[in-house]
Amino acid sequence: MSGVDPNTRLNLSKASVLLVESSQHSADVLAQIMKGFGVSEVHRALASDAAEKMLRAKTFDLIVIDPTVSDGDGYRMLQELRHSSGANAYVPVVLISGHVRAQDVARARDTGANFFVTKPITPNTLLQRILFVAKDKRPFVQVGNYIGPDRRFKFEGPPPGSDGRRENDLKSPLGDADEPNMSQNEIDMMIKPQRVMI
Amino acid sequence: MTSVRKFHPEVRLKKLLAESGGITAGQALDRANEGLESIREDCLAGVDEKLTQLTQLAASSEAERGKQMYRCANEIFAEAGAFGLAELSAAAHSLCSLLSNVEDDRLPSSAIKVHIDAMRALRRPDVSGNAAARAAVLSGLRGLAKRHAG
Repeated sequence: MSGVDPNTRLNLSKASVLLVESSQHSADVLAQIMKGFGVSEVHRALASDAAEKMLRAKTFDLIVIDPTVSDGDGYRMLQELRHSSGANAYVPVVLISGHVRAQDVARARDTGANFFVTKPITPNTLLQRILFVAKDKRPFVQVGNYIGPDRRFKFEGPPPGSDGRRENDLKSPLGDADEPNMSQNEIDMMIKPQRVMI
Repeated sequence: MTSVRKFHPEVRLKKLLAESGGITAGQALDRANEGLESIREDCLAGVDEKLTQLTQLAASSEAERGKQMYRCANEIFAEAGAFGLAELSAAAHSLCSLLSNVEDDRLPSSAIKVHIDAMRALRRPDVSGNAAARAAVLSGLRGLAKRHAG
């Protein structure tokens, strides 16, 4: 069981999950996995309009969307959810997709999902992603038309050759000294216990 | 300059997951796998129905049949894969790649037929129960896909 410590405890007994899938059998697969994880309330929608109706009526703790639902309408649905002022606007969303066409990769990145998982789904992968949500410290960002978790998992400073655009971007490569190195004597003097003169 | 707003919405799921009680990840995975086993037969019957549908679509002249076949193959890819039918899942994925972004009047009929035949063969008991036979079917299909891409 790589990736998940089998002794990690999780409590999903009060969680409410919405599964938005294009196929009944795929929805059954996800529902069985969620029930196995102890989720008490599993709701399903097999079309985007049905899902949107449920999102207006109820608050969920996790939403799992196959973006190919209703002829690829899952992308629009998620983007509109993030722009809405409803109770589910910032709920964690996992996008689960089968075969991905090249043009859908950027689309998936820009919809505002917390994670993207490719099918075939295994309980292990899905559990890993749910546990990641619990640890995820990324802020939500609103920039241009995008609202969703920061798409950068790791901050590595501005791109090489650029000064960056943010106030806290470092102006030179990380680790570069901005003044002459100290001599070993100077370093020794700084860390040597000093007798205090009174 | 583009303005960026950053914020930290409250995520109820984080709090729920950390509440006392619950189960271990090991138990969660065992129960999820048991749940999947309970619907295995039903889902695999669904995969067989989709294979039949795929065969009919390939032989028809229905409008948007490429799109319908792509959807069907994509579901087979996901559902066969979820139940460990790796070769069938891989064959369906290969068909998806073949059908991806192709107009109906330019569908590669013979390559589609070979894919569907291979997928049907992979569901036959004599092949599905024989790892070497499954690998041989998939290997032949990969060779075809490579030639088609080249």
